[in-house]
Amino acid sequence: MLRTTPFHARTAPLCLSHAWRRWAGYVVASSYELTHEREYHAIRSSAALLDISPLYKYRVFGRDAARLLDRVVTRSVAASTPGQVLYTGWCDAAGKMLDDGTIARLDADLFRMTSAEPGLRWLQDNAAGLDAAVTDISDATAALALQGPSSRAILQEIAGADLAKLRFFRIVATTLKGIPVTISRTGYTGDLGYEIWTDAGDALPVWDALIEAGTPYGIVPAGMLALDVARIEAGLMLLDVDYVPARKALTGRQTSSPYELDLAWTVNLKKEGFVGKAALAEEAQRKPEWQFVGIEVEWDALERLYAKAGLAPQLPATAWRTSVPIYAGGGQAGYATSGGWSPLLKKYIALAHLDARWARPGTAVEMEVTVEHRRERAAARVVKKPFFDPERKRA
Amino acid sequence: MKTRYDAIVIGAGHNGLVCAAYLARAGKRVLVLERSDRVGGAARSEEVFPGFRFSVFSYVVSLLRPEIIRDLELPRHGLHILPLESTLTPLANGDYLAQWSDHDQNRRELAHHSLRDAEAYEEFGMLMYRMARAVKPFLGRVPPDPASLAPRDLLGLARLAANLRGLGADQVHALHKLLTMSSADYLDEWFECEALKATKSASGIIGTFLGPRSPGTAYVLLHHYMGEIDGVFRAWGFAKGGNGSVSDAIAAAARGFGVEIRTESTVARVLVRNGRATGVALESGGEIEAALVVSGADPRRTFMQLVGAEHLPQEFVAGIERFRFRGSSGKVNLALAELPDFSCFPGAGPHLRGAISISPSVDYLERAYDDAKYGEVSRQPYMDIVIPSMIDPSMAPPGKHVMSIFVQYVPHNVNGGWTEAKREAFGDTVIDTLAQHAPNIRSAILHRQIITPADIESMVGLTEGNIFQGELALQQMFFLRPVPGWAKYATPVSGLYQCGSGTHPGGGVMGASGRNAAFAILGERP
Amino acid sequence: MKPAAVVIGAGVNELVAAHYLARAGCAVTLVRSEVALERADTGWVTPRLAHDLGIDPRLLGAPCADPWAIAPLPGGGRLELTSDVGASAEAIRRLSARDAERWPEFCARMHAHARVLGCLYAEPPPDPMATALRDLARLARGALRVRGLGRSGMEAFLRLLPMSAADFLDDWFESDALKGVLGAAGVMHAFQGPRSGGTAFGLLHHHVGSAPGVFRPPLTNLRAALGAVGGVTMRGGTVARIETKESRITGVALAGGETIPAPLVVSGLPPARTLLEMTDPGLLDPQLVRALRNVRSRGVVAELELVLDRHPGSSTLVIAPALDYLERAYDDAKYGRVSTHPYMEARYEGTDAQGKHRVRVHVQYVPYALRDAVWDTALAQNFGRAVLAKLSEHAPGLSAALVGQHVLTPHDLEHLYGFPQGQAYHAELALDQVLWMRPLPELAQYRTPLPGLYLCGPAMHPGAGVAGAAGANAAAVILGDLRRGVLKVKE
Repeated sequence: MLRTTPFHARTAPLCLSHAWRRWAGYVVASSYELTHEREYHAIRSSAALLDISPLYKYRVFGRDAARLLDRVVTRSVAASTPGQVLYTGWCDAAGKMLDDGTIARLDADLFRMTSAEPGLRWLQDNAAGLDAAVTDISDATAALALQGPSSRAILQEIAGADLAKLRFFRIVATTLKGIPVTISRTGYTGDLGYEIWTDAGDALPVWDALIEAGTPYGIVPAGMLALDVARIEAGLMLLDVDYVPARKALTGRQTSSPYELDLAWTVNLKKEGFVGKAALAEEAQRKPEWQFVGIEVEWDALERLYAKAGLAPQLPATAWRTSVPIYAGGGQAGYATSGGWSPLLKKYIALAHLDARWARPGTAVEMEVTVEHRRERAAARVVKKPFFDPERKRA
Repeated sequence: MKTRYDAIVIGAGHNGLVCAAYLARAGKRVLVLERSDRVGGAARSEEVFPGFRFSVFSYVVSLLRPEIIRDLELPRHGLHILPLESTLTPLANGDYLAQWSDHDQNRRELAHHSLRDAEAYEEFGMLMYRMARAVKPFLGRVPPDPASLAPRDLLGLARLAANLRGLGADQVHALHKLLTMSSADYLDEWFECEALKATKSASGIIGTFLGPRSPGTAYVLLHHYMGEIDGVFRAWGFAKGGNGSVSDAIAAAARGFGVEIRTESTVARVLVRNGRATGVALESGGEIEAALVVSGADPRRTFMQLVGAEHLPQEFVAGIERFRFRGSSGKVNLALAELPDFSCFPGAGPHLRGAISISPSVDYLERAYDDAKYGEVSRQPYMDIVIPSMIDPSMAPPGKHVMSIFVQYVPHNVNGGWTEAKREAFGDTVIDTLAQHAPNIRSAILHRQIITPADIESMVGLTEGNIFQGELALQQMFFLRPVPGWAKYATPVSGLYQCGSGTHPGGGVMGASGRNAAFAILGERP
Repeated sequence: MKPAAVVIGAGVNELVAAHYLARAGCAVTLVRSEVALERADTGWVTPRLAHDLGIDPRLLGAPCADPWAIAPLPGGGRLELTSDVGASAEAIRRLSARDAERWPEFCARMHAHARVLGCLYAEPPPDPMATALRDLARLARGALRVRGLGRSGMEAFLRLLPMSAADFLDDWFESDALKGVLGAAGVMHAFQGPRSGGTAFGLLHHHVGSAPGVFRPPLTNLRAALGAVGGVTMRGGTVARIETKESRITGVALAGGETIPAPLVVSGLPPARTLLEMTDPGLLDPQLVRALRNVRSRGVVAELELVLDRHPGSSTLVIAPALDYLERAYDDAKYGRVSTHPYMEARYEGTDAQGKHRVRVHVQYVPYALRDAVWDTALAQNFGRAVLAKLSEHAPGLSAALVGQHVLTPHDLEHLYGFPQGQAYHAELALDQVLWMRPLPELAQYRTPLPGLYLCGPAMHPGAGVAGAAGANAAAVILGDLRRGVLKVKE
């Protein structure tokens, strides 16, 4: 009895692989085609259409809406303007990450917040003494991501607004073929792309409109496997995979602060009181013990390891989400949590947590690779994220 | 009769059997003497009506210690635990609350009633997990005596303090609340959905003579969360073949270590000479000698009946007299021609493979308790229902079913005593209440077996029908169980030990008391 | 140089805290709302407090009425219990010889237990998670005191703590009348019946400071005894907000708009009101906010103030004929109803300025929140009439002597005395809301997360029933913080 998204009537017949997976209690396609490759390439060469409805979405409204959000998240919300979208994390009182997501300022007193985990209770409890109301609009709101170099052109065919004016991380209320939607220039692929938000009741017409407009441009419905590769190329972390949210952590070591996740830029210590500020201020005085970095494995090293077993390198096309040890300085220096082969960059890349001593870009490390049932170590380098950052993303 | 045994265990309840098995594993020659015709005590399966097999008394497995399952290799001896995966709470207005083991499914059901509760449930679950983990080490430990200055006790106390402090302030305070609050007040802090609070509160009243608003029930709630199966906490399961198969597996393991088990052998007395136990006297006549006697019977039966106050210090006897039993539970076991059809969830769905909890609100449970406080069976009782044949079809003939209904409150000291009429009336109340939710039940019943606390007492030997061999109230737990100063399984009579759930850590089909007692006897750390 | 301090509230704890701070050199302003609050406080005044503030113990007033309990018996006649253990035993003998035999030992035991508790009450609560040496020392002292009861005393003490008053009293006695009178002390102000766990602790708590054999808290007029001591400026007014700047306390703002600057504010008001309504809850950890809202403070008591033209004839009257009577009274409250047969205790309070005789009647269980009714004037009056009728059954001359009466419902008590939901103890006396858990573990040492803001009311350890002790303990913590530089105050 898993739920289906508002787009299920369209996505189900397309899922030839029958490969569904769970996301927040919904079923979404892992891939529509038998393998995910074409879907991934569409993200980078034409346009991919992804169902992202299972995100949790909250409507925050009222005179103190900005104050409420400012109490909760680490970035300054008060400084934002209507039409702006912020990416931010939020923490518990110990300064450890609870979740991350976006806040779209739809109006002076109206915000839409997304998150990976349910957050209604947390938001409401933080609203003590404030004139702000929080409603859960997760089920009522359908959401799609249209990502790729042709995404603007496709949208422009049917959108009411002039999308050339929609800058990176901004949002606009408009229509698609007359259907009211909001479109944000945001995404999880690190590419030119948009997210389209609409009432669940309008989901199917919106889908149909996009497919119709997009087919001449080569639009491809894409599933989670394709998205995973793209987001790793973009250096973007994923809750439960790349970090343990504080609420689920069984030990202190499992938690992460924003500083340890390379999110220092989202922490505004000048802001008056937010949950975790004191702890974060204290942590900022000393250097974080861990860093979240990019890892690039040396191709030659890989080739040598496989050649020893009489094989050519066999890297899985699907990104992995397991814990892989990283070695440096004679011992284990950390672990990668997401990784895989980037078909675009032709590199074997990973996202990793590293002991800060070894986390500077350029540092030589080794990543564990299992070759023919043997655990080997392949030479690798620490690199800055993102691995892929095209100009068109912000243009 | 020559001394052929090192130890005699009185009673083949699961704790007695566990104790016997561990003693025999360590090389002792052990004899178990059981009054009835089969092993198990209150963990027994019986074909009460031809073709229909019942877990007559206790009916689910969760608290059975994993270390016992491993040490005694119980799966090899036939123990197979099948999962119980859901709880359905029918509500008055035709609605229901369902809880499932799948995280997403469960969240969805809760979200129907309250979005906040759906979120809070996950946090609550994490906290209970941490609490169960925090408490777990204490289950397998002999309680230190805080009044003693002996090095072993001081060390034990220091360890206890260190363990607790090591949990950190948040967890210690959470534990404090769980030990002292009522389950209703505790759950009020987390949830708003009445049916959820009531269904969870119900775990807090099992086997107690307290209502959900009575302080002390949050502890019982935690006690029932300590069960784990395969490392998964709070998992409840059903033993294939009924709870008797748990006892049978332990008995088989015990026999494997050389234990001799004699059924239909009632012990009349423990033989005591000069403050020392020397063996037992059988009701049929005859005596059996042994230097070690271990009683699996409850403390009152053991000390007041089998030993006799004359052999015991006055302070100890006073303590035993103050140890409270007040049975509050009953059972109705049914043989059914067809499955019950619940109006709120019609048809033979997956919910019938789990538990059905008649606990629509906290007030409902509290009113049930009020009735019992003044000596009556609850007019609208709390019921925990399982249909074992849905999980293990071998329990009933094909197409037919058995239903196990655990009921509270059924006071042992019912006004006017447990006459035949009272007993039938109790059975009728249960059926009437169930019929409100599953109207087809009356016509589906082929046979019914009614068990009152008086029956529990006479059939199994549990004083006042208390299923835990003594209330799980803090004032008689841990180093106070059963009597202050005598919480380490030893007794004032040398050579006499106690191993039933009237000792730490208390009741539920755990086996921990039996295991701890064995180690205490052997002088080792468990 | 000690900082200026504002103390908020009209209770005796606030007065005591103010005096301690003043004696230490702070310029203290005590802000209290202008409601006349002349009522006798209950509770034992610790010897240390009397000594510290230079109060002649003889001025504290008669500790208790004697007999402290007069209970009508079903067959006629009365059970009278006094501070004379032997005399009480004789009175009990008429009901049960066995109980009479046990009475002296019971009194001795309870008194020893109460002394241990009393020591714990005279200082801030021990903290089982303490790491600092002085705190560990306090913890050790507490543990040693318990151990000092001896093996059987310690076991009895630890057994007593979680027990219900009913089980505990059933262990000792058989007489319903005796158990009823004692059980009432276990459930006073509690939203629990005598069969509930924690009520044996309630019985012990209400015995702290009383003489052996007296199971009602002593009465004091500590407020009057403190008199006008220098260094404390009294101000009438209601505090609307406690002002902060970047979480530091800067003073208070009164309802009229005036502000009183001070880096140190001590509030005797309920913690939830202080932290959630008078300061910005956004300054607090949301978990603490939630926990504050979960502190239980349900009022179950109403009072009747009777004005008589003559002495009622006895110092007290207790209507609590048996434990089950109390339990049934509690049953009603559980479902949001006023008890049909409430627990009632009338106490003679002396004569007033007009020469009239005053009696105060404690009526329990009278819930603040009713399920099928609302506390309006009509309901209050009907309630008052019903109570009087019941009392008159046992005190025949009462209605004739009655000159006036005044009903104080839980709502009235809230309005007049600031008792949240009418609960006189602010936070219910329950095992999860005592000692290091009172009212919350984060607040148990009188400090709040806002530097400079402290709590000192009855919601703080040791709770009500020990007059001024919370205020004294809070002052001790404040002065300690000042001394150690933990509380930095700019001039």
